Amino acid sequence: MSEEEKFHAAINGELDCKELERFQAKLLDDPDALSRYAELSWLNGRLHAIGDKLPELTREVRSVGQQRKVPVWLSLASAGIGALVTLAFVLFHGGQFEPVATIVEAEGCRWEGSDLPTAKGSRLPAGRLSLVAGMATLKFDSGAEIVMEAPAVLEVESKMRCRLIEGSLIADVPESAHGFTIDAPEMEVVDLGTRFGLTTNQFGKSHVMVFEGEVEVTRNGFEETTSLKTGNTLVNGADLMVPDEEILRDVEPDHRQGWSQIESSKDSFVRFGAEQKNYGSNPLMMVKETSLAPNNRRRGIISFDLTSLGDREIEQAELFLDVQSSGLGFSTLVPDSKFSIYGVIDDSLDDWGENEVLWQTLPATTDEGLIPELTKKVGSFEILRGASAIAAVKVSSPELTAWLREDANRIVTFLVVRETGEYESQGLVHAFATREHPTAKGPTLYFTLR
Amino acid sequence: MDDSRTEEYLRLLAANERAVVAYVYSLVPVRADAEEILQEARVVMWKKFESFQSGTNFAAWAKKIALGLILNYRRSNRRKRIVPTEDAFIEAVAAEIDRIDAEGDSRSEALEICVGKLPQAHREMVLWRYFEELEVAEIADRSKRTESAVYRMLSRIRKMLQECIESETTGGVRV
Repeated sequence: MSEEEKFHAAINGELDCKELERFQAKLLDDPDALSRYAELSWLNGRLHAIGDKLPELTREVRSVGQQRKVPVWLSLASAGIGALVTLAFVLFHGGQFEPVATIVEAEGCRWEGSDLPTAKGSRLPAGRLSLVAGMATLKFDSGAEIVMEAPAVLEVESKMRCRLIEGSLIADVPESAHGFTIDAPEMEVVDLGTRFGLTTNQFGKSHVMVFEGEVEVTRNGFEETTSLKTGNTLVNGADLMVPDEEILRDVEPDHRQGWSQIESSKDSFVRFGAEQKNYGSNPLMMVKETSLAPNNRRRGIISFDLTSLGDREIEQAELFLDVQSSGLGFSTLVPDSKFSIYGVIDDSLDDWGENEVLWQTLPATTDEGLIPELTKKVGSFEILRGASAIAAVKVSSPELTAWLREDANRIVTFLVVRETGEYESQGLVHAFATREHPTAKGPTLYFTLR
Repeated sequence: MDDSRTEEYLRLLAANERAVVAYVYSLVPVRADAEEILQEARVVMWKKFESFQSGTNFAAWAKKIALGLILNYRRSNRRKRIVPTEDAFIEAVAAEIDRIDAEGDSRSEALEICVGKLPQAHREMVLWRYFEELEVAEIADRSKRTESAVYRMLSRIRKMLQECIESETTGGVRV
C-alpha cells in the first residue's frame, strides 16, 4: 500500500489496531507525512461540515426522501436543551432570512424538496424552490418577475439575483430591476430591461432566448460578455455527455407481482437539421415537431429484444418512458403536446445501428413523415404544458400488446414522434431518458406472460 | 443564564457550527463517534459558556473544548483497544489542522468550487457519503458495488478534490 493509500485507509477506518499503531508511530516520526495526512483529514472533515450545502454545490437535484439523517439542531434537542431549539429557529428565521420575493401565481403546482414556502402569496427569503408540476410566477421585490416552468429548480438569492439549477424560466424585468442577474450552469445572464427565457438541463447545457430587449451573458471560460438583443438566442455548454466511467443507475424494483421488464436494447433520436449527426450515446431521446423551424424536428427510435422470451406469449404490456428536461426551448411556447408511438412493420428494418442511425436512415420514414405501409400506430400519450418530470409516461393499448405478440423475429422497433407543433420557433423540445442515462430509467417494456 | 446570553451562545454556535463540525470530523473520521462527541461538545460549551469572554475567538474556544472531549472519549471508549500513540497522534494532527485553518478561507472556498467540478457519478457518491451521511455498506448496497470498491472510489474522489484545491489556491485565478 502506498503512503497515500494508507492515509485514505486510515480515514476510512479500514486499518486494524496493529496497522493503526504502526501508522501513527510512523507519522509521529515524519512531520512532512503528518502534514500531508492532516491535509487529507482536513478535507474529509470539511466535507462533513458542508454536507448540507453539497446538493447546491454539486447542482444535483435531490428528491423527497433523500435527506440528511440528523439535522444539526435536532442534536441539540436530544441533548436535552429542547427549549432552546425554538429560540434557535426564531433567531435564524427572524434574523438572517429577509424576504426578497413573493409567489404571485401558482396554478396547478406541485412542489417537492423545496426549503421555502410554496403557497400562492408566500413571501420568500433566500432558499431553494423545486417545482415538479405546473407553472409558478415569482415577483422579486426589485420588480423582476419570473415564470418557472416545471420541472425546475431555482434558488432565490436576493431581490436582484437568483440561480437556475435546472429547468426553464421566463423573466420579465421592468426598468426598476435593470441588472437583475440569473446564474445558470456555466453562465450568468444579466438583464438590461427585457423579457427573456432561460432553460438548462442537468448536464450543464443552457439556452437563452431574448423575446424583447437586451441581456448580457457571461460564460465560464470566455472573457468577453455576449450581448443578446431581441430575437437572439445562445446555446451554451458542452454537448450532452455522460461520464466515461461508473454509470450509476437507480433500478426501480417492479412492485407489481408477476410483471417482468425488459430494457431497451437500442435507443436514439435523429434531427432534421443535423443530418450527419448520430445521437446513439446520448442520455436523452429528444422529440419535437415544428413547421416554424424545420431544422429542429426530432424523432425518437427504440428497439426491444424479446428473443429471450422464446415462444412464450405476452398477455399484457406497458411501455415506460421517463420524461426528462431537455434544456432546449420553452414550454410556454408549446401547447399541451400529443405523441404517437408507431411499430415498424418490416422486420428487416430492426437491425438499425444505434451508433449509425441518421435522419435519412431512420427506418420507415421520409422527410415528411412515417411511411404508412411500413408502420402501424400502437399507442399515444400526451404531455401537458409544465407537466411533471417525475411522472413517467406509461403507454398500454390492445394494439401494443397485439404488436408484441405478433412480431415474428421478436425484436420490436418503435418510433416516437410528436404530433403537436409550436406557437413560436423556440418551443420546448421534449426529452426522455435513454438507456445511457446515468440516473434515470431508460425506455422499458413491462409485461406479463400467459 | 439570562436570555441575551442564551441568544449570544446560539448566535455564536450557529456562526461557528461548521468550523467545529469540520474540526471534530477531521480528527475523528468515524461518524458515530464524531456525532457523539459533537453532541457532548454542544452541551459542555453551553455549560461552560459563562467562562467564555465575549469578543474573543469563539471558534478557538470551542475547538479547545472539542479536543479535550475527543481525547477523553478515546480513553473512555472501552469497545476498542487503545493504541498507545493515540493521544500524541491526535494532538499532532490537531496542531496541523489549526495551522491549516489559520491560513484563512481560501482552501474552503476552493473546495466548494471543486465539488461542483466532479464528474456526475462522483458527485452522487459525495452526496451519499457527506450529505445523506450513509455508511459505506449502505452506499455499496445502493450503487451495487462492493464495499472495497466504494472505499476506493471515495479515496479517488478525495484525491481529485485535493488536486483541484491545490490548483485553485495556487493559480490565483478564479474560473
